[in-house]
Amino acid sequence: MKTIIYTCPYVPAEWIAAHGLRPSRIIPDAAGATGPLGRSEGVCPFVQGFISEVLTDKKAGGIVVTTVCDQMRRAYDILVRRCDVPLFLMNVPNTWQNVTVQKLYIDELKRLGRFLIGLGGTSPSDDALARIMLDYDTARTSILIVGGYLPARQYAETIAAFGKDGPGEMRNNITLPAQQIEGMPLAILGGPLMRRDFDIFDIVEQAGGHIVLDATETGQRGMCAPFDRLGLRDKPLLELAGAYFCGIQDASRRPNSGLYKWLKCRLTDTAPRGIIFHRYVWCDMWHAELQRLKDWTDLPVLDIDTAGNNQTAKQRTTNRIRAFLETLQ
Amino acid sequence: MSDIPRRITLAQWDLQYEQLQKAGTYQPDYGGPLSRHLNDGDQRLLKLRFDNSAAALRLWNFLLTEEDRLRDARAAGKKLIGTMKDLGTVPVMAYSFDNLVAFYPDGAWWIPCVMELSAGLLSIADSLGIDESFCPVRAMLGAFVTGAHFPLPDRLICSVGATCDDFSAIAQRLEGLGHSIFFWEIPHRRKAEPGEEAVNLPGGFSAPKCQVEFVESELQRIKTALEETAGEKLDEDKLSAGIKKANQVRTYLAELRRLAFAAELCPIPALEMLIAEMLAIHFCSDRQETIEVLKELLEEVKARVKAGIGVLDADAAKIFWINPVADLQVMNLLEDCGGRICGTEYLFTHALDAIPENIPALEALAQMALADPMVGSSTERAQRICADIHRFGAEAVLISRIPGASHCALEGEVISEIVQDNFDIPVLEIEVPPVIDSMRPTVRTRLEALVETIKARRTR
Ligand code: SF4
Ligand code: SF4
Repeated sequence: MKTIIYTCPYVPAEWIAAHGLRPSRIIPDAAGATGPLGRSEGVCPFVQGFISEVLTDKKAGGIVVTTVCDQMRRAYDILVRRCDVPLFLMNVPNTWQNVTVQKLYIDELKRLGRFLIGLGGTSPSDDALARIMLDYDTARTSILIVGGYLPARQYAETIAAFGKDGPGEMRNNITLPAQQIEGMPLAILGGPLMRRDFDIFDIVEQAGGHIVLDATETGQRGMCAPFDRLGLRDKPLLELAGAYFCGIQDASRRPNSGLYKWLKCRLTDTAPRGIIFHRYVWCDMWHAELQRLKDWTDLPVLDIDTAGNNQTAKQRTTNRIRAFLETLQ
Repeated sequence: MSDIPRRITLAQWDLQYEQLQKAGTYQPDYGGPLSRHLNDGDQRLLKLRFDNSAAALRLWNFLLTEEDRLRDARAAGKKLIGTMKDLGTVPVMAYSFDNLVAFYPDGAWWIPCVMELSAGLLSIADSLGIDESFCPVRAMLGAFVTGAHFPLPDRLICSVGATCDDFSAIAQRLEGLGHSIFFWEIPHRRKAEPGEEAVNLPGGFSAPKCQVEFVESELQRIKTALEETAGEKLDEDKLSAGIKKANQVRTYLAELRRLAFAAELCPIPALEMLIAEMLAIHFCSDRQETIEVLKELLEEVKARVKAGIGVLDADAAKIFWINPVADLQVMNLLEDCGGRICGTEYLFTHALDAIPENIPALEALAQMALADPMVGSSTERAQRICADIHRFGAEAVLISRIPGASHCALEGEVISEIVQDNFDIPVLEIEVPPVIDSMRPTVRTRLEALVETIKARRTR
C-alpha cells in the first residue's frame, strides 16, 4: 500500500485512507540541513525541516503540500524541482465565511481524490468513507479524553503517532500514568512543533510546570472537529470537509477570529496560569499574533522564538521557561 | 522634447524649474518645484537623480501629491477605498464608480525610504509586534496609526489566499486593531488538469475555468460591497468603460516599456520607469491624470528615441530587474555603475497587461487577478521572466531581495535556476533595505562587478 505523506492539518487522513492508501502526517525532526536549499535565511525552520524530511523519505508514494501559508506554497516549488515522488498542491483557502470557499475546499478534496486514484487508489463509496471516518473519529475522541491525564509530551507523541500511523492499535497502547500530574498549569500556543521541539514539554515539567492545553498545530488545535453521526451517514464527504475546514482554527484564517473563540473556550476549560507562545523565526503568520494575543489575554505570555535546531537556543528556551515559571509561582 | 536628456539632482531641478517657468511650460495644478516636497519630510529626494524633462517633473509631482488628492476627494464628498494587496484589479472596479477613489495603502512601503525613516512608521510597527522580520510594507501599520500619510479609507478591501504571508499577517494585525477589512480569496493559480477546461489568461499564464469562475464570484462580492459604499449601482457598461480607461494606461505603459528597455540608447532612467509602472496599480488616486502623465512621458521618450539620444552610455550593461527596491536610490546606483534596466518584474506585471474587452467585464477582471505572477508558482513567474529576458535582450538578471518578504526566502533560487537553464547569463541576488546608506559601498561593489562581468562577456 502506498504511503501518502503530508504535514498540514487541513489534509484529511480519512480521505486518503478511504482511497485505499496509507496517510502519514509527518512531523520533521528538526530544521535539518540547508543542503536542498541554497540558503536558509528567511526560510521558516519548519518549512526547511519539511523539505529535508520529504527529500530523504524513501517510502513515500505521494506527497501533499497545502497553500495555507506562502512559505509552504513555495516549498512546493522547490520540491517539484528536487523530488521524483508525485506531488499534489492542495488549495486551502484562508477565508472561510462563504459557501463558495467551503465549496472550493470540497472541490480540492475531489481533485486530491483524482490524484490519489492516479497513484493506484480507488474511489471510495460513501459507506467506505463513513466507516473510516468513524474509526478515526473514535480514536480521536479517545485521545482527547485521555489527554487530560497524560504527561504533555506523551500526549503530543500520541497525537503525532495517530497522525503518522492512523487509528490502528493506538487506542490500546495508551498507558496512563499511575499518579496525577502536578505542576503549574500552562498552555502552549503556536504553529506546528518539530520533534526536537517536543523537548519543551520536558523543560516545562522539569521547571515545575505542566502543559494542560497543547494548542499548537501538532497538538490538540490541529485536530478536526468531531463528526456528526447523522452527517457522517448521509453525506460523509461534506461532513469530513466541514469538520476539517471549519473545525480547525488557525492563525492563517482571514479573519482569524475563530482562533480566539476556540482559544477562549479551551482556556476556560483548562484554566492555565500562563501561555507559552511558540513560533519559528520567519513565520509571519504566528509572529503577527504575538502582540495581539498579549493584548487579548489577561494571562502572562512567554514568547519562545526558535530557529529549531541548535543547542544554544535550547538552553535559552530552558532559562526563559524557568524564569517564566518562577514569576508565576 | 526637453533639453539634452540627463539625470540631475534636486538642486539642479530647481534651476531647471525656473527655466521651464520662464519658457511658459504647462504645469498642472499640483505642479511646482520638486524641492518643495522636502517640506513634507521627503528627504530622500536630496539623494536621488531625476530625469530632467518636464514630463518627469509632472510624474514626480503627481506621485508626491497623492495625499492632497485623497484629502480633496474626501472633501468633495467622494468615498475612499483602500485596496490592499491585489495590485491592480479592485482599483479598476472602484474607479468605474463616479464617487469612489481607490488608493493603495501598501504604497506606504516606500515611506521609510522617501522620508529616510524620519516618519517613525517602522517604530510604530515594531511597537505593534511587527518588527523587521516582516517586509517594509509594515510601514503601512504605522501610517494607519498616525493617519498622517493618507486619510483613513471608508472601506478596506484585501486579497488573501495565494498572497505573501507578510501582507496577510499585517492585514490581520490591522483588523485586530479595529479596522474592518473585507477579505477576499485569490486561490493559488494552477494549470487545468485533464478533463478541465483551460482559460488562457492575459500575459500568457493559464488556469482552469473553475478558478476563473471562483474569482469572478469573489469579485461579485466586492462589487456588491463597493455598491453599498458608493450608494450607486455598477452596471456592465460602466465597468467596461472603466476597463477601457485602465487599458489606456496599460497601452501607454506597454509602449513606454518597449522603448525604455529596447531602444538603442536608454531614453528614460530606471527610477522614472519604476514610478510610471507603479501608476498602473491604482492610478495614484486620479485615473484621468495618470493617463495624461503617462502620455506626456511617452511623448518625451518617443522624441528622444527618434532623435537617437538617451540618458545613459550606449554600452550600458543590460540588466533585467526582479522585485521592486525598498530604497529608490538603488535604481540610480545601478545606472551610476554602468547598468541599464532592460526588463522588469516588479511583482505586478499583470497590472501592465491589457484587460480583455471582448468578454463580460467581471470575468475579464477575474482573469486579470489570476494572471498575477505572485498567485502562481515561482516556476511560472520565472518562465514569464525568461520570455521578457529574451524579448528585451537582457545580459544579466538582478533579483532584488525584499527584507523579510515571505516569497523572497525561496523564490530566488527557483527563478535563478530556471533563468540559468534557459540563458547563459549571470544572475545576482542582493538585498535592498528601505535605506541602503550603510551598505551602499557593498551594494555598489556588487553592481559594479555585475556590470564588469557583463562587459567582459561581450568580448568573449
Ligand atoms: S510555522 Fe509559519 S511559516 Fe512555517 S509552515 Fe507553519 S505557518 Fe508556515
Ligand atoms: S513586497 Fe513582497 S512580501 Fe512585501 S507586501 Fe509586497 S508581495 Fe508581500
